[in-house]
Amino acid sequence: MTKKLDLLDIQGNVIRAYGRFGYPVARYVCLNVRDGAKGREFVGSISKKVTTAVEWGDGPGKMKQPDWTINISFTYQGLKDLGVPTSSLIGFSPEFVSGMKARRDILGDDGPSSPQHWDPIWQRNRETRENDVHILVSINALAGQGLDWLKTAEKNRDQAYKWFQGEVDKTKGGVVILDGHLGDNGEQFKYQDAKIVLDNGKPTSKEHFGYTDGISDPVFEGVPYDENRVKGRGKQIPGGKWAPLATGEFLLGHVDEAMEYPPSPEPVLLSRNGTYMVYRKLHENVATFDRYLEEQGSKFPGGKELLAAKFVGRWRDNGAPLVKAPDAESKAKYDAQFAAADEQGKDDLLSDFTYDDDMSGGKCPFSSHIRRINPRASLEMIHEEAGFTPLGAFLSLFLPPSWLGMFKKAGDKPGSLKVSKGAFNTPGALSDRRRLLRRGLPYGEVKDRTRDDGNHGIIIMMVNADINRQFEFVQQQWINYGNDFKAGNDKEIILGNHSLDDKFPSKAVLQVDPNSDQAPFLLSDIPRLVETRGGEYFFIPSITALHMIARGVVDPT
Amino acid sequence: MSNIAGKAYAMNVITPIRSYLTWVNKLIFWAAVKVPGVLTGLVTLSLIHYARWVIIPKDKFPHLDPSQPKENLNYNYMLFFSNFNGSWDQYVDSFTFAIPGGLDLFWKWNIRYSKSVALTPFHDYIRYNQLETIHYYNAYPLAASNDVKSAKTVKSSLIQFEKDTQTVSDEEFLKLYNGLLRGLQHDLGDMYPTPIVTMSAYQVERRQKWHEGKLAEAGENHGK
Ligand code: HEM
Repeated sequence: MTKKLDLLDIQGNVIRAYGRFGYPVARYVCLNVRDGAKGREFVGSISKKVTTAVEWGDGPGKMKQPDWTINISFTYQGLKDLGVPTSSLIGFSPEFVSGMKARRDILGDDGPSSPQHWDPIWQRNRETRENDVHILVSINALAGQGLDWLKTAEKNRDQAYKWFQGEVDKTKGGVVILDGHLGDNGEQFKYQDAKIVLDNGKPTSKEHFGYTDGISDPVFEGVPYDENRVKGRGKQIPGGKWAPLATGEFLLGHVDEAMEYPPSPEPVLLSRNGTYMVYRKLHENVATFDRYLEEQGSKFPGGKELLAAKFVGRWRDNGAPLVKAPDAESKAKYDAQFAAADEQGKDDLLSDFTYDDDMSGGKCPFSSHIRRINPRASLEMIHEEAGFTPLGAFLSLFLPPSWLGMFKKAGDKPGSLKVSKGAFNTPGALSDRRRLLRRGLPYGEVKDRTRDDGNHGIIIMMVNADINRQFEFVQQQWINYGNDFKAGNDKEIILGNHSLDDKFPSKAVLQVDPNSDQAPFLLSDIPRLVETRGGEYFFIPSITALHMIARGVVDPT
Repeated sequence: MSNIAGKAYAMNVITPIRSYLTWVNKLIFWAAVKVPGVLTGLVTLSLIHYARWVIIPKDKFPHLDPSQPKENLNYNYMLFFSNFNGSWDQYVDSFTFAIPGGLDLFWKWNIRYSKSVALTPFHDYIRYNQLETIHYYNAYPLAASNDVKSAKTVKSSLIQFEKDTQTVSDEEFLKLYNGLLRGLQHDLGDMYPTPIVTMSAYQVERRQKWHEGKLAEAGENHGK
């Protein structure tokens, strides 16, 4: 990597998924600005403590890893009420201006995911000025060593929150913390807490359905501490190799994969090193998930755990990708290899894979979570019918077809797809512009696995330079629709807004090896496994931009 | 008026080209369909129903009635006509992400062509030269081009299966049946309306009506 980013100017949550760096708990707080001037002062005092992306450790240009981190982002209304001038505001993207609720038809937030079922804070947002979410502050807290690791983290969080509350109090009502994040028993909180899932008090990297999470995350140019992580996380280039994605896919003011600067508000100082973030609270229907998995698993030839892996594309226990471990036998081998590998070896085993040897989906189905959300190079696919070979096609310009029998090819096996070699400019051309950085943590605890209700799921925060081109596209075209995957209207299994109408039940096809004698498994009557409970689009400014907002000096003229 | 009918989008783009360069473009068009591999990228992009490029000489524009004023054109024009699935952005972006070289090959000789990368100037070029569709008829509004292809595959496979299984044993039938499904494993997607690609009030309302089963009253609720 030759490019070096100005890490001191970029907020830390853009570059780091804090969970991976030893921060098991988080608190998200939403604020409403009642008085612009006091609001700006508040932003100024927070910005002094805002966690940057600077490297942690000893030595020049590095700093000690903090006990807690704090990051801040803004909605469109927030920026407006903090006095960012119209001439700058008009440069923000239309989706950001409209907000998540107004985009529900695009996102497929219908039925139990529709805004009337969102947490009160997100329902009230953008209805009246007093209840608008203007600012989102996120706090992440570092775990301690030894048995008290979690208590220490919670102490760190409480300390951070106390400091933060003090800053809010200083505004004397100029900025208020909004209520309305639903808790375990329907009570409303002034914050959304999130925490890694525990197993008998021990930390795990699981989410509530039991999958190992937090493995894949795009790697892009200019981040010094990601150099060993590019395989499987960057973009796929010819020869099964990987390169970091262009910085402009995730940060404004940098050149993107289309070799231009992403559309951004002016002046450049306001947008450069800033980016957009999609915040979503997603409820997980664990009882329905368990029941459905049990019911289908009893019919599925490979058994329940393999079926669970087919839903996501990775095995639940250790995240082994299906393309590397497609059945129980290969999984056992993979596990042995995994146990023997060092840190880097483990990471490569988890992350370094392509779909090139699984173009028909016999290992990792086309409707699984990770294949739909990051198809890597697999959309460069084709099924060739019988016909002339390239040479035959050329000769057929001059010679009658009946002479050309030896220049005919049989066509691909029914049910198979293969790489359409060289068809696209780069193998991952259709994926590279749809990538998302994932931040956030699970929230809540599952107290009773036989019930869907309660308060548990994932707070997911997706960072991208263009909400419409990246997040909304993936959500709409790849999660809730399947045409790019030759799957018609079949949806992604875990996240799809599956039909609630018995007459039109959702289904998915789990492909098999076209050379085998098996039949594909038809996953029928897929229920809604995940429901939206709220969310919004935010802008994460650079440190420079934060200072400018705080001083009221944003001015494109 | 809308460029969208069901799952398909109709795009017409008309761009000027210097008369003395027209033959180059014609040669390229001719070669593109003959020389294997040139159109592989286009074919691999499965969202396209149909695409056609035509050169209209400056004196060949339709003159329908003597009362229509005669225009005096400086250039020949290249008409690009395409029907595809998805949104304008998805289509134009897929083109530039996947086959920028192919686009440049076809448009290079056109006046003020921006090249397909970077994206924004290319977007601007297409938007500026795009003609809005005034009337758009779509025989199968619920079908994407993949759905049509799949339906044809399913139909012919079923007919063949029926023939092959007239006299076979139970075991043989099961084997052939599994083979049938396996052969069709990329052709069994459901067919319902797409997620809406525009937030125009018209499209949003239609979608709501579809959910409520009320489009049928207008004779439009396909299959519901
Ligand atoms: C409750 C909801 C969700 C669950 C249970 C879930 C679970 C998972 C799991 C288990 C993985 C595999 C582990 C890994 O590769 O890190 C994963 C990967 C991923 N998820 Fe999700 N996820 C959820 C929601 C979402 C949403 C809403 C999005 C974005 C629209 C998303 C985007 C991704 C991405 C980009 C990856 C990495 C794929 C890759 O690069 O191969 N997830 N998720």
